Amino acid sequence: MFQYVLRRLLVAVPMLLGAMSIVFFAMRILPGDPCVAMMGDQATTEALADCTKSLGLHRPLAVQYVDYLWRSAQFDFGTSLRQGYPVSEYIARMFPHTLVLVMASVILAALIGIPIGIVSALKRKSPLIDYPLRIFALLGLSMPVFWLGILLLIVFSLRMDIFPLIGGGDLDGALHMIRTGEVFSNPADFLAAVGDVLHHLTLPALALGFTLAATVSRLSRSAMLEVISQDYIRTARAKGQAERAVVYKHALRNMMVPLLTIIGLFVAIALTGTVLTETVFTRPGLGKMLVDAIGARDYPLAQGAITVFTMIIITVNLVVDMLYAVVDPRVTYR
Amino acid sequence: MVGHPVPLTVMIATSCGRCTTPLPAELPSSITLAHRSDHKGTPMSSHAWPRFSLVPVAALATLLAFGLVALADPPAAEAQKKKVLNIAAKEPETLDPHTSILGQTQAIKRFMYRGLARFAIKDGKVTTSEVEPDLAESWTLSPDGTVWTFKLRKGVQFHKGFGEFTAEDVKFSFERQINKAPGTRFGVNLGVIKSIEVVDPHTVQIALKAFDPIFLLRMVGYQQGYIVSKKAVEKFGEQYKWNPVGTGPFYFERHAPREKVVLKAFDKYHGGRPQIDEVHWFDVPEDATKLIGLEKGTFDLLYPEAVTADFAGQVQKMGAVIDRRGPGGQERFYINMTKPPFDDIRVRRAFMHAIDRKAIKETMYPGGLARVAPSCVPPGYFGHIPMTFPEYDPEKARKLLAEAGHPNGFTIKNYFISKSFFYPKVLTLAQEQLKKVGIIVELQVVEHATFHENIRKNLDPFVLYGGTRITDADPWLSLFFDSKEIPDPATGNKGTNFAHYKAIDDLLAAGRVERDVKKRAAIYAEAQKRIERDLVCLPISDVPGQWARNPKRVSTPFDPEYGEFSLHYSYNYPEMLKILN
Repeated sequence: MFQYVLRRLLVAVPMLLGAMSIVFFAMRILPGDPCVAMMGDQATTEALADCTKSLGLHRPLAVQYVDYLWRSAQFDFGTSLRQGYPVSEYIARMFPHTLVLVMASVILAALIGIPIGIVSALKRKSPLIDYPLRIFALLGLSMPVFWLGILLLIVFSLRMDIFPLIGGGDLDGALHMIRTGEVFSNPADFLAAVGDVLHHLTLPALALGFTLAATVSRLSRSAMLEVISQDYIRTARAKGQAERAVVYKHALRNMMVPLLTIIGLFVAIALTGTVLTETVFTRPGLGKMLVDAIGARDYPLAQGAITVFTMIIITVNLVVDMLYAVVDPRVTYR
Repeated sequence: MVGHPVPLTVMIATSCGRCTTPLPAELPSSITLAHRSDHKGTPMSSHAWPRFSLVPVAALATLLAFGLVALADPPAAEAQKKKVLNIAAKEPETLDPHTSILGQTQAIKRFMYRGLARFAIKDGKVTTSEVEPDLAESWTLSPDGTVWTFKLRKGVQFHKGFGEFTAEDVKFSFERQINKAPGTRFGVNLGVIKSIEVVDPHTVQIALKAFDPIFLLRMVGYQQGYIVSKKAVEKFGEQYKWNPVGTGPFYFERHAPREKVVLKAFDKYHGGRPQIDEVHWFDVPEDATKLIGLEKGTFDLLYPEAVTADFAGQVQKMGAVIDRRGPGGQERFYINMTKPPFDDIRVRRAFMHAIDRKAIKETMYPGGLARVAPSCVPPGYFGHIPMTFPEYDPEKARKLLAEAGHPNGFTIKNYFISKSFFYPKVLTLAQEQLKKVGIIVELQVVEHATFHENIRKNLDPFVLYGGTRITDADPWLSLFFDSKEIPDPATGNKGTNFAHYKAIDDLLAAGRVERDVKKRAAIYAEAQKRIERDLVCLPISDVPGQWARNPKRVSTPFDPEYGEFSLHYSYNYPEMLKILN
């Protein structure tokens, strides 16, 4: 197992390198440069040249590239061209917000999507149940998250005034209390902070989770259909087990392996979804930061954010693979 | 792709490449069998799986979530106690006042910093063509017109205990820009300064290389004119951009990146503590979200990315107002009078008759979103007078072209235009109008930087240009009509006299040494008349700075429609904004 993880981590290095190289060059192929973006329409040629020099962008591309890789290898992602904060510090601040959003929406997607998929598979012969569920899936697939987001904001925030319009809640406060141990000395405040985070999280997680849930339900439905056509399900039914037991004991558990893969994959999709979700809901986070960084041609920040995205996806894939062994004792890694 | 079940099987089968034993060939490629690498061939036994059901877990999680939500304090409650001004704009990228030209950054700076002078309030309006003392108490000019002596206001305090504002801070603020401290952008506007001398803590003398009629405008709290605390800049170094210390009505409290900047009322502000206790400057990139927030009451002021007719309509529908602030930016054409066929004044006149300025303005900025520009020196600039231009008349244009020897019009090949900002839109509209009189413009849409490069190589016979400058006719006319500014690739001159105009050099020279305000105004009036006579400039739209405001929550003493003139920010006096409830 250890060797397997080690091997996978080694394989991750060229993957990360590839992603970092792609983003490095893609950012530079994009029309527009950071100085023009920063200094606007009125900048004189001399001012632009000064700016380019001070940012080190006058150096040959190859030199910039090697410098970037060398610094990244030392976990130095540089400083944001615009705001001057160290990129690693910036990302560390944004990361928890994105993490809770991704986790909440994946959990929501699983909680909504998997039962719907299962029911839809089991009741596929009763159109009154299967059809509405499939329509739900279709709706989720066709609704872009930014549109659904604005709709949710108008209904639940503007009209009904149940949820806040912007922000990520007091996540920093909650994390601070965990770090300092205040969580035990002052549990009421901690709960309030967590409540505030959840309050702010509900709509974005619903928007992102719902669009994901639709896909999850489709995939779980087909996974379930595969499983219930297996011989051992027929055997279970033949030996007289109740349908409930057949579904819970035999079918559901065997569905877990493909489901885990789906959920792993969904962490990746949810991550990309955060870009739009965070922008519409005005939440701090890696996605919103990435959009702004690309718009401003803030190379170090955009590179740092994409590197982190890549690392998350690689890690999630690895964790999912390792979880196979947990949910399916037949799987061993060597 | 993920919407279909098909790739799933492929995906799982692929994941089997991780297992060391190959999949038996006879196994169907089903999901369940994909991991049968240990080949027992039986389903998982129940003891391998902990007993739980998804349903109670889901119910528990939901209950917990909503339980906690109920516990949380309504966030609005605290805000009600304090008078908090909530602004939705983009996030500033720095709070060092000498470094950024971005709109949102320039707007927030004005909350924190002040200069020696400020734009004057006259007849209940803020004008950008006259100034009055602010951090200075008074000033005098030496008889030869080259030494300004500023008496500074006593007892003005910097934020956060950085002490009293003194002449040292003035000297430091200007010198760091003249010496091009990293990141500073406005030193060029202080190029006229020869030396700065601290006479005593409350007196500073600034010697100029020559008399400068607009020197006091340069001292206004705006871009280069802001005074920073020397102690703070020296203490924080590069970190100053997020540790700003000024003398303005609000001080910087904290910055939550990608979330908000919090400012607080400065008790010791020399103009008196503002009525507003806190300013929360939210980073809201989406205009749609800003509008929802204005209607809901989350935001009181919006700085939109783009004010469209739809945006203005929605603002009006919800009972909010748009604060329009001149002079804003002007979009205009300069015609190169040395480039055939435009060297013939009849062709230039035909060009102007062919352009329907009102139609372009209405398409770009319907209704009140902008005004048809009345002069080549925008209103709000010292010296502005209204000018007249050939009215829209394609028939006359065709006649003039025929007279000038172009009965069938002519074609301009490889006309370069920027792909950014308003440029491509305005030019496409003009292209259609010119086509009607036989002037065919073949467009090459290029990167903004290429456009700037090419217009300085005189590749375009007429140039569309925009922007805002220090609000006086001298810098404006000097930039666009002084013969020294004629771009010339041979000499490397990258000036902006795209008309290649030489007829007002004498007036500009006279204006630069004239100290009598009325005489200066007359000089620039004459300059505008000559430009009008020679038909080298056609202004299209004056586009104001525009913010949306909830008038039930926030009041300003100035009229929403051009009650203030300002530069790159909308509120000259944020301390005069008041929270109403």
